Amino acid sequence: MITSKFFLLISFLFIITGTLLANDAPASAPEEKKSEQHSESKEGAKDGAKEGEKESSKEGSKEGTKDAPKELIDFSGITDLVKKDGLEAELKRKEEESRKLLDEKKLREMKRFNVPTSENFWSFFSEYWLVKNATVLKWDIHKPDFELEKSLTAFLESQGVYEKKIKILLLDSTEIAHAALPSNQNEYIFILSLPFIRTLDLSKVEISLLLFEDFVRVRREYFKNFVLSKELDAYLGSNFSGKSFDKKLIQTHLQKYNQILFEKGFSFQDQFETTKEMDVLLKNDLKMWNTYLSLLTKIDELTKSNALYKKYSQIYPSPELQLSWLKPKSTIR
Amino acid sequence: MKTLILLFVLLSSFAFSAEESSSSSQMKRLPIGVRYFSQIMGNVHQNPSRYSQVLTTISCNHPVKLLKEVSKDGKEFILYGEDKWHLVSVGPYEGFVMVDYLSEKKNACFDEEFPKFFDGLNLDINDLYYWARLYDQYVQGKSKVRQ
Repeated sequence: MITSKFFLLISFLFIITGTLLANDAPASAPEEKKSEQHSESKEGAKDGAKEGEKESSKEGSKEGTKDAPKELIDFSGITDLVKKDGLEAELKRKEEESRKLLDEKKLREMKRFNVPTSENFWSFFSEYWLVKNATVLKWDIHKPDFELEKSLTAFLESQGVYEKKIKILLLDSTEIAHAALPSNQNEYIFILSLPFIRTLDLSKVEISLLLFEDFVRVRREYFKNFVLSKELDAYLGSNFSGKSFDKKLIQTHLQKYNQILFEKGFSFQDQFETTKEMDVLLKNDLKMWNTYLSLLTKIDELTKSNALYKKYSQIYPSPELQLSWLKPKSTIR
Repeated sequence: MKTLILLFVLLSSFAFSAEESSSSSQMKRLPIGVRYFSQIMGNVHQNPSRYSQVLTTISCNHPVKLLKEVSKDGKEFILYGEDKWHLVSVGPYEGFVMVDYLSEKKNACFDEEFPKFFDGLNLDINDLYYWARLYDQYVQGKSKVRQ
């Protein structure tokens, strides 16, 4: 009995010992692996450090993408792609377009302040003077249709003067007998006193001759040269954007029209040159030349006899002198 | 008897005047195009005459409707007053403007080319009236090469 209990105990002890031994073996194996690993890590310490750095840098860059500002994004790698899209060119085109539009708008606004050039100033200015002196000159009247435009154009054509536009304004005033006002190229503005032609009882041919004399005078630009000052010459064709309009300059030059037509008139030299040109132009047609001579005689007599036209010789000096310039010298040797 | 004759004369005169007014109203006015006024200022007249009553004043490049009159028998009238005038419609008015002052295309008007210069002159209503009258009063012509 005792032996059976003894054997049972012994066997039990063996089992426990065996179990304990079995548990100890795997526990020591990892220790051996650890020691082996430790030795290996000592050998590849350098390589390990490098790998560690790489890993840490990868982690760092990941963290960097989350926190870094946008400027740091480098698109240099896709520049070519963007260029291929044509977005840059489109942007440039849009910018250019808007700049052009802005420039055009500015230019348009600036152009509104342009002062007329000499080519388109004179007709306007002469008409402005006529408008401002409408009550003095009394041109807004009912008058018979003399068809003076037909006789004058026919006369101009006979003199070989073509493609000239003429405007004739009849005045019911003796203040100005006749004149041609400065005007644009190929355009002529004539003013003619109705009382003057009625008093002299002038024919259409005589009226045409009188206006042709004015035509020659204005073509020689005596009137324009008298009115035009350096200031006005510089002002014409300029731009007054950002400055005030020089109305004083315009008014001063408007006064010059009054001076030449009402007071001062033309110089002897101007009148001599005009008469001599008339002489040359009309001498081909002696009938016409004689009509001109008789016209000047009529005017000379009128200015000497009629107080209303005393001023005429002052404006156009003088019919008497003109006659003396025209008449051939009688002394023949 | 006398009263009968008088009555007859009166009735016939009424009938004649009625016929006359109906004949003028029988003229149909039809638009045939648009023209532009070519001068700085100008007037639209009641009749084809420079001294006729002014209906309205127009400025440069003002568009006007050109009208023609067609009579009952089919005759068309475009030019009036020695062929120097056109019948036009401007706003509520129908009147006459000189042929020389109308153009088919828009013009290079002084007041449009140099607006600030034109404004700077400060033209008042009196000046504008006279400027329009100036173009009524001008007698115009052009010398040409004749073959």
